[in-house]
Amino acid sequence: MSGYTVVNILGAILIITSAMVVLAKSPKNAAYLYAAQSGVVVAMFVTLAVTTGSGELYLWSVSAFFTKVVFVPLVMLYTIKKMGPMGAVPSSTLSPTKILFLIAIELFICFVVINPIDLPTAVAVKPALAISLAHFFIGLTCIVSSRNILKQVLGYCLMENGSHITLALLAPQAPELIEVGVATDAIFAVIILCVIVLRIHRVNGTLDANDLTNLKG
Amino acid sequence: MNQIILAIFQALLVLLVAPLFSGIARSIRAKMHSRQGPSIFQDYYDLAKLMTRQDVRSKDSSYINRLMPPVYMGSMLLIAMGIPMLTQACPIPFLGDIVTIIYLLALPRFFFALAGIDTTAPYAGVGSIRELLVGVLIEPALLLPLFVAGLIAGSTNTGAIATALASGTVPPSLALILAGIAFAAACYVELGKLPYDMAEAEQELQEGPLQEYSGPSLAMLKTALSMKQVIMVSLFAGVFLPFGSMATASIGALLLALVVYLLKLLVLFGVCAIIENSVSRVRYRLLSKHTWTIFGIAVMSFAFFLIGL
Repeated sequence: MSGYTVVNILGAILIITSAMVVLAKSPKNAAYLYAAQSGVVVAMFVTLAVTTGSGELYLWSVSAFFTKVVFVPLVMLYTIKKMGPMGAVPSSTLSPTKILFLIAIELFICFVVINPIDLPTAVAVKPALAISLAHFFIGLTCIVSSRNILKQVLGYCLMENGSHITLALLAPQAPELIEVGVATDAIFAVIILCVIVLRIHRVNGTLDANDLTNLKG
Repeated sequence: MNQIILAIFQALLVLLVAPLFSGIARSIRAKMHSRQGPSIFQDYYDLAKLMTRQDVRSKDSSYINRLMPPVYMGSMLLIAMGIPMLTQACPIPFLGDIVTIIYLLALPRFFFALAGIDTTAPYAGVGSIRELLVGVLIEPALLLPLFVAGLIAGSTNTGAIATALASGTVPPSLALILAGIAFAAACYVELGKLPYDMAEAEQELQEGPLQEYSGPSLAMLKTALSMKQVIMVSLFAGVFLPFGSMATASIGALLLALVVYLLKLLVLFGVCAIIENSVSRVRYRLLSKHTWTIFGIAVMSFAFFLIGL
């Protein structure tokens, strides 16, 4: 089994874990599942680093481990802890089946779009590339279908994981500066979003996106 | 010739071990309730007793009512002849086709439901409707994973799929694993155990379509229902876990395959019994959510197959 096969298999596991993040009922479970998913992303980076022999990717996988697997879930869990009891927020506006259907359709459309691309770096990892593109839409699905704003933040994180994988797949030799830029950008976004969530909860006492109608004219 | 003997042997094997496995399930249930429980051969005793009883029918029932037990059992024997149980290939290839198997499962269900309505007993009618509901909801989830496996192996014959998997010509891909998970879940729903025993729900329906049967007919139906459970489990084990099945024809290999097959059944039935006894019945309105989620998993596996994973 070549390294690229492993990358493709990890990509499939990535789809399963991100579907679980979208389907998770409580934000706490979603945060743990997100940590698991980021673990798969890191494994993917390491496999790619071994396969392509790129030193930059090793560095990136280490930094991704600390930022994605440890830091972002910790920020989420800290936010959940700080808020205390959140009350019952309906987890999703769509049924699990519809979400699974949507993800399957998104995956297929992304594959159709990716298929004609004939870049030398992309030939062996077309399924993984389709999955990384599909993650953008899976994140979007999570944002659109979740009523809990904390889970919407996780949807944003999913989109970002997808963009990171695309970068790693197409440009494994990219200099560290780009990678550090992309990675830190994500951390700050999550911190700012979590602060906003905390303030929304303090003012409104709810996390349900449907109840946040204060600004409606 | 050997194939036909093997097919008949498989059918007899299913017929003979079916009450044993339902007895084992009862025994596990009793142990989980901290009860002594009946012997694992209790189902054989029950059937023997039922055979000596009188066959009573309600005066409103028609020939459908009399026809149903033989049709049910006959279909089960026919399926048992076709699916790969002891061997990797099907004993009778045209009976081992995915579509044939699914339709052979649908035929007895149709008669089962019809016979329930035929007796004019209200609870039996409700049980029949539920049986059809379960059937309609679970059939897509049974078909799609098998079709994904068929697309991967390049044949709709369950024997060909099993051979391709066991010999390693088709490497185990994620699409296949996901299809296996979806098929296992769909088979579990099809077993008619808790939380999905809609039609024979003991508390509210008192055996559903079975309630107007007695004596030998009831014995036949009870055997056929436990045969169906054995068949569903062996279908899953035969198609998705064909390891240890017989590849070459010899007496030694047949005995080994028999032992492996019975062990597989024992493990799978043990898992089913543990699931069955740790859940409560799902409300039948929620059933569709569960089955559609299983179908969603199957759709994911299909998507994985399409993108080449």
